[in-house]
Amino acid sequence: MTPLSFDPLASGPLLAGAVLATVASLWLLLPNGRDNASTRWLGTLLGLAALAAFIATGRRLGGLGEEAVFLIVSLVAVISAAATIVSRSPVYAAIWFALSLAGVAGVLLVLGAQFLGVATIVVYAGAILVMFLFVLMLAQPAGLAPYDRVSNEPFLSALAGAVLLGVLSLSIGRLSAGPATCCELPSRGTATPLTTTPSAAADVATPAAANATAAPAAGAISTATDPLAENHVARLGGELFGRHLVAVEAAGVLLLVALIGAIAVVSRGEAALAAEATAPTRPSAGRSAIR
Amino acid sequence: MNPTQSLPLLQNALTVGAILFSLGLVGILTRRNLIVMFLAAEMMLQGISVSLVAWSRYHGDWGGHVLVIFVLTVAACEAAVALVFVLQAFSRTGRLDAAAWQSLREANVARTVDHELPSIDTVPLRFPTLTPAGVLPPDDENEPLQREHV
Repeated sequence: MTPLSFDPLASGPLLAGAVLATVASLWLLLPNGRDNASTRWLGTLLGLAALAAFIATGRRLGGLGEEAVFLIVSLVAVISAAATIVSRSPVYAAIWFALSLAGVAGVLLVLGAQFLGVATIVVYAGAILVMFLFVLMLAQPAGLAPYDRVSNEPFLSALAGAVLLGVLSLSIGRLSAGPATCCELPSRGTATPLTTTPSAAADVATPAAANATAAPAAGAISTATDPLAENHVARLGGELFGRHLVAVEAAGVLLLVALIGAIAVVSRGEAALAAEATAPTRPSAGRSAIR
Repeated sequence: MNPTQSLPLLQNALTVGAILFSLGLVGILTRRNLIVMFLAAEMMLQGISVSLVAWSRYHGDWGGHVLVIFVLTVAACEAAVALVFVLQAFSRTGRLDAAAWQSLREANVARTVDHELPSIDTVPLRFPTLTPAGVLPPDDENEPLQREHV
């Protein structure tokens, strides 16, 4: 249970095995035109092996409870993400994606981002995903379409994704806790005057007391800018509408422009389709031309 | 920097973010359904969000949180606009297939040709039913419109 220092050389074969198992698993699981139960089982087993290898390269977190919770929510997120991209049916893919979002929200909660965890559920699973399902119900033909049963270059894509994953894991494993040598961050107490409260000095003096409720094994940071301290949402709002007020306004304008743009595209598109329907002599850009 | 920051938690969370990002990359590269491609893109955004929040936790500041909020905002805008495009594409071609728009490809890219797929030997789904009771309702004329399976 001691915190293991990650040794890239020692876990190199493990990581390589994980990458190879990921490639093979995704290649077997992605839609390939055949519907063969045995290859799917083999792919599932290889994927579980890859997952086990990634778990084995993971670092100990300290507390057993924290480890268990993190393991469960991240497994939910990762397994249902894999199921999203290998599902033949787009409806099932969307529902798996909703489950993956639940797992991601759990990971965010474990990381101490309470507001973002809830916002992920509300905004993604509640709004965006429902919009996807509406579009699927509008546009999905009955049954499995042929293009849902084949993939573009499944082997090369799986290889690209797994190699990217291996490189990322290697560089993540090489992160060290030492102080940054290149770029020292500005002092946080002065950089965020909005969130500096009178208790900041006391927190610095007694870090253990400040973090008694939040992840004691993680130890760590205890200034008033710490997202783990009390009044999380209130101080996130203060940060958002203080330092980032202009960006918030820009985001609001972006939302408005996207709304107007979506409505404009819909109405123009309807008009164009109606014009095509009434003018059959014109070579249409529709079904016939696309082959 | 504080040397007692939780490096293992950061590394584990970054690994989860990397896995989500890679899976999303594979999905957007290889799937042909426009909606599934879009879900894969959203999954890449989720991986980025997890990584940003992990770094925010590690450094003990709000930067990652604020960035993730803007990621959510942009994802909502992106979903609205892109779903409009997807619906327009569907109403023009009748398919949600990315290859339906392959006339937009580069000149030196080979054309995607679909081969005949073996038919699926689908067993009809058996959903649990209640025991029939009372009088059988008259046949619904909308019955053929209902799908056999999704």
